[in-house]
Amino acid sequence: MHRKVSSMARVFEFVGRGEVATIVVLALAFAVPFATSSPLVFSLSNQILIATIAAFSVYIMLRMDLLSFALPAFMALGGYAIAVAAKAGITNLVALLLISFAVPALVALPLGSLVLRLRGTYFVLVTFAFNEVLQLLLFEMPAITGGSNGIAGVPASTFLGMALSSNQAVLVVTCVIGVLAAIITAGVTAFYRREFAAISENETLATSLGLVTRRYKTIGLVVSAGVAGLAGFALVNMLLTAHPSSFSTLSGFSYIVFAIVGGRASMMGPLLGAAVLTTATLLFSSKGEYSPALYGMLVIAVVMLARNGIAGIRLPSLGRPYVEPGADAQSFKREGKAI
Amino acid sequence: METAISAGIIGIGLGAQYALLSLGFTLIYGILGVINFSHGGFYMLGGYVAFAVVSKLGLPYPVAVIAATLVCAGLGALFELLVLERHIDDHLATMMLTMGLYLVMGTVLVLAFGTEPVEFHSPVSGSWRSGRIYVPYANLVVLCACLAAIAGVYALLYKSNLGRALRALADDRPVATALGLPPKILFPAAFGVATGLAGFTGALVTPILSLHPHIGDSILTISFMIVILGGLGSVVGAAVAAFVVGLVEAYSSIYLGGSIGALTLFLLVLITLVVRPTGLFGRQVRAA
Repeated sequence: MHRKVSSMARVFEFVGRGEVATIVVLALAFAVPFATSSPLVFSLSNQILIATIAAFSVYIMLRMDLLSFALPAFMALGGYAIAVAAKAGITNLVALLLISFAVPALVALPLGSLVLRLRGTYFVLVTFAFNEVLQLLLFEMPAITGGSNGIAGVPASTFLGMALSSNQAVLVVTCVIGVLAAIITAGVTAFYRREFAAISENETLATSLGLVTRRYKTIGLVVSAGVAGLAGFALVNMLLTAHPSSFSTLSGFSYIVFAIVGGRASMMGPLLGAAVLTTATLLFSSKGEYSPALYGMLVIAVVMLARNGIAGIRLPSLGRPYVEPGADAQSFKREGKAI
Repeated sequence: METAISAGIIGIGLGAQYALLSLGFTLIYGILGVINFSHGGFYMLGGYVAFAVVSKLGLPYPVAVIAATLVCAGLGALFELLVLERHIDDHLATMMLTMGLYLVMGTVLVLAFGTEPVEFHSPVSGSWRSGRIYVPYANLVVLCACLAAIAGVYALLYKSNLGRALRALADDRPVATALGLPPKILFPAAFGVATGLAGFTGALVTPILSLHPHIGDSILTISFMIVILGGLGSVVGAAVAAFVVGLVEAYSSIYLGGSIGALTLFLLVLITLVVRPTGLFGRQVRAA
């Protein structure tokens, strides 16, 4: 018994408390589709889960101090890949999960060799540009992507011969994808914790000490792209449509906001950020045209008031949150340059 | 041949506008290390302030342009002083803050002026013709104003004490501060100059292009492309890249069609980055 407890403790220590808590919370989401049949709750849960998965993708890159705007592009690759596959008759859930992860990951591999040479702000800007390129390509290749019409009427995925087409089943699929994405994210950030921390703290020093930073950055980018692809799958699966407007650059911005506003200390941050801000968006939408301003002010307020994000707010009863060394807001250093 | 010349003139006009916009963007990055996501917002604000001054107050257009510049400069300086200054060393926070500001600005403009494009026309009419080449006078006025403003920014940065102080702060903030330069005054000033430039461009350009509350997105993307191409923080690079982008846009939209033209531009930027990761005129970014 004692041994079992200590090995559990070791797992906690290796993966991180916040990570384990996040996976548990996401697993609890499975109760939602069975506890209620409210369409509002279904829609909100779907949106929060998809936002969380996308924010995980941002989070993996942030662990290496890289801010990637290419997220919607990878989501689009995953989403369009499963739309094309499902149209072609591949509707098996497991196959689709693999496809949605693998396609963006395979695209990220050669892309990484080009863009990972760039640092800091240049990386931000070039990933932004990549996103715009992919948006244009979606419009320019109507034979595959349906151009501006997108791919409508994507068949529902199937599992053991059951079509997962009801609202309930769609939410269950989203939950499955959520837990899967959380486990992948927790796994890769725990396994490469030291490498990512070294890259984030001081890449030049890490390289000079013999760490092949390029390799770990590529691994991070590839996994992050795969997780984004899973988010794209969940989105297309919910909407039954793959459309360029679902993957706009602005949407990528929201996911980055979720991850940063939530807090970068652990995976709890992206989850909290996505949950709070998605709910806020829903509440604000009743205010119609004021909605973006309220959202903007909320973001400004959180950044001003909670330096380490929502997850970093210290409540007396919760004690001190676990903060990864170098994961505080300061570590994305300023890199001003002479003009 | 006439088409090619016309496209060239359009391209130079676009280039001049883009140069002004991206000068502001690159100034903010170079001096403060902030990526200003609200840059397109200040461009819109400039356009709308000028529109309001002309149509609601009935004042002449040049006054409106000056008012737009001052409003944007003031608001920018105030935002830097009250909000950005506290997080100035944190890249991510400043990005979030400027993006939040952009959302607020967009909403305020929608509430004040509606979502539809407004009728805002340049007071200068008529055009200059030679054979089949024709250029509206309004565009020539804008071109001249832009070129004058670019010269002004150059003089400010490289010939004035304020410019020397700003460049010193951009070079090494701790040393410049230790030597007595006050960042608490100079940083808001720099931000104000840059947002003022965006407002000036907006007031000048929106009458000949269009003015609606979503124009900021495309303006931001263009500014991004230009500063990547030119090299972040480089004033000369931004100016040169702006004209390159303007010309590429003008020629590609005529010979290749709109969306392929945009694609060409993005690919050009990506290729540049692969060959020269710091942009055409950028120097190696200081390692974090």
